[in-house]
Amino acid sequence: MKSRIGVVILVVLCSAALFLASCKKGEEKPAVSLQVVTTLFPLYDFARTIAGDKAHVTMLLPPGVEPHTFEPRPEDMIRISRAGLFIYTNKYMEPWAEKVVSGIDSRTLRVVNAGERVTYHAGVTEDEHGHDHTKSGEHDHHHDQKGMDPHIWLDFDNAALMVDTILDGFVAADPANGDVYRQNAETLKRRLVKLDLQYRKTLALCSTRTLLHGGHYTFGYLARRYNLDYHALSGISSDSEPSAERMASLVREIRSSGARYLFAEELLSPRLTETLANEAGVGVLMLHGAHNLSRDDMARNVTFFDLMDRNLEQLQKGLQCRTK
Amino acid sequence: MSDKIVTTELLSCSYREGRVLEDISFQVERGDYVGIVGPNGSGKSTLVKALLGLVTISKGSASLFGTPLPHFRDWYKVGYLPQSLHLVNPVFPATVHETVGLGLLSLKRFPKRLNRADNDKINTILDELGILDLEHKLIGELSGGQLQRVLLARAIVNDPELLVLDEPTAALDPETRGRFYAMIASINRSRGVTVLLVTHDSGAIGEHASKMLYLDKKILFYGSFDQFCCSHEMSSLFGEHSQHLMCHRH
Amino acid sequence: MNLLEILSYGFIQRALLAGTLIALLCSVLGVFLVLRRLSLIGDGLAHVTFGSTAIALALKMYSAMSLLVSMPIVLLASIGILKLTEKGRLSGDAAIGLVSALGISAGIILASVGGGYNVDLLSYLFGNILSIRSEEVVIAALLCVGVLLLVTFYYHELFAISFSDELAKVSGVRTSYINAILVLLTALSVVLAMKLVGIMLISSLLIVPAAAALQLARGFKVCIILAALQGCSSVVIGIIISIMSNLPASATIVMVNLLFFTVSCVIRRIIHPKNSN
Repeated sequence: MKSRIGVVILVVLCSAALFLASCKKGEEKPAVSLQVVTTLFPLYDFARTIAGDKAHVTMLLPPGVEPHTFEPRPEDMIRISRAGLFIYTNKYMEPWAEKVVSGIDSRTLRVVNAGERVTYHAGVTEDEHGHDHTKSGEHDHHHDQKGMDPHIWLDFDNAALMVDTILDGFVAADPANGDVYRQNAETLKRRLVKLDLQYRKTLALCSTRTLLHGGHYTFGYLARRYNLDYHALSGISSDSEPSAERMASLVREIRSSGARYLFAEELLSPRLTETLANEAGVGVLMLHGAHNLSRDDMARNVTFFDLMDRNLEQLQKGLQCRTK
Repeated sequence: MSDKIVTTELLSCSYREGRVLEDISFQVERGDYVGIVGPNGSGKSTLVKALLGLVTISKGSASLFGTPLPHFRDWYKVGYLPQSLHLVNPVFPATVHETVGLGLLSLKRFPKRLNRADNDKINTILDELGILDLEHKLIGELSGGQLQRVLLARAIVNDPELLVLDEPTAALDPETRGRFYAMIASINRSRGVTVLLVTHDSGAIGEHASKMLYLDKKILFYGSFDQFCCSHEMSSLFGEHSQHLMCHRH
Repeated sequence: MNLLEILSYGFIQRALLAGTLIALLCSVLGVFLVLRRLSLIGDGLAHVTFGSTAIALALKMYSAMSLLVSMPIVLLASIGILKLTEKGRLSGDAAIGLVSALGISAGIILASVGGGYNVDLLSYLFGNILSIRSEEVVIAALLCVGVLLLVTFYYHELFAISFSDELAKVSGVRTSYINAILVLLTALSVVLAMKLVGIMLISSLLIVPAAAALQLARGFKVCIILAALQGCSSVVIGIIISIMSNLPASATIVMVNLLFFTVSCVIRRIIHPKNSN
């Protein structure tokens, strides 16, 4: 009898999984000709702004999923093979992207590496470099390619370069609507410039310039642009585990910097950050890496600019910046 | 107290392959020494396992000490020596003393603890079976004959009223085998323990058993040893010669 | 960095304390599991935890709240493994494999098509021994006390079912009840340990101390005590080595555990050259 209960549980679990699998919203059939598939959220947001109503843009990553560990489903492959434009960030961010594209046999598919015009910098943690607080930019070029920081969109100049590259893709794929795309891209870039100014202004006068992050190296480009001293707990690779010594040394950095807050990255578990913050007696604030959106944010149609505004508020609070 | 130690009524057992036991009805009285014999695959082991609740009975019923099996709780009255050698994990880290102590569990209530008197009891039984010197050895370090005696000690340390042995001598050499049967016979006689012994070694058991049960899915014969020797069914089953061998008492 | 200075950090103290407690309860349970041939149940249940965490996150239940979902599912899964071995004519490893496959595939399906999440599943799934909170130390201590009490009270029954299920039954032990206690305690430990120390450590803490103790122990009680000592000391030694040589703590603990096992095998060969084949 009891074994039958076990079987019933198995069946219920299986059917629950299948039910959830089948009840995703039906793909809306678009009337426009150009289909665009993007990998990460910044690309998606830029591309849909550029597209306006002339193209249909979708994002590959399901909400909340970490891009490093993502694996495309069969349906994703079909979506890409039917698209005219496939946009990814770079080979460091989506190591699977090139493989996916090479597996698709489509003459019409145009592949855009959005980060191709950007100058990459290495992601450096204190762990790897001891205590020499090297000024940004000095040692970066000598770094191993694997250590490159892929979060290029957090520098808004880079974001503008990405917009240019994406625009080129749009124009090449659909020359007829080229003017519309150019116009939309121009607006987008103007907003990026405005955002940059706002960051510059807000972050000009802060009590501390040390940006302490209890997680993987993510906000390097942001810190570099606004001249912040960025200390992350661990390197870029999301599978490395911080050592006890590194944790202790970050706690000391927090204490010696006099910071009141330690930053954690949204979407990820804040456990480790909370442990460190408790240890150092500081609060925890969230920064958004913007790779992806939570399901709730996706439903609310949050944009890249919304996320960056949110980040600025958190930074202003965490670094105690005075507004003029 | 009932003197019917084991009673079965039209007991049947089936595995997926089909019926292994069919309509088994028999009774065992206090003090009996029943030899259960029969060809390979005749269901001997299944029968004793069914009597001990280790195999599901598909039809009919069985009782131990007058209590229907599903309600039977007085396991302290039963000692069981299984077809042992492949049953024991050779890397199991228990000592001989600890292993024999497991036999006392059925006498204990929650939380089960062994006290000094229990230890004395264990040592006495080890001494009686001539294996006191093995007390601190690990069971994985024993020879087949030694292990057999340790498991026998485990089965009788609680002074059971019914001792069930399933092919206990399979791994023993003929000499040890003879001594083993003598040991069981003396337990039967001196302590009045009822014995059910499964074997295909019907020659050896004939020496001691008071009753024989010949099984081949069904009971083909159940009665006293003397009847067994004289029965016509037996001579037709075994032939004159083997019957003579079996019934030859020293 | 100075060892004493690092030891003054709260997160190191909590790691040592909670790590020792979890090692204690895992290694004690491990002896029974290894002998019952259920060694991999830790891995299996960890995979089910993965699946159940996926459900919890889909329901927007994070950290402590996710236990409310994981706990009952993992407890059920552990009983499922037991029933499959008892009634389904499956060996322990096959039953564990079956349930573990169900857990991980359900998790993957939910993770990729459940309409997405508000957070990243994997980052919520794996604990890190260096990020244990004080209240979690208390929970680990309570669970540890509970497990040790139950193991003390049911010592002989657990011993009997590990030795032989059949013999235990004929000794009047309610084997399915005792087996259920064993796997339920294991399930509780796995869910907690998964949160606190991560999947890699669970399996190693369950299996390796028991396997090492089996090499040396001369007696069942001795075996449990040896396993417990070994499990606890490898956590302490592992954490200290990881501090001194700047290595990730969990992996170092696993390596120390394996080193203990190797040393035990060598000692066994030296003491009993005959029996060491």
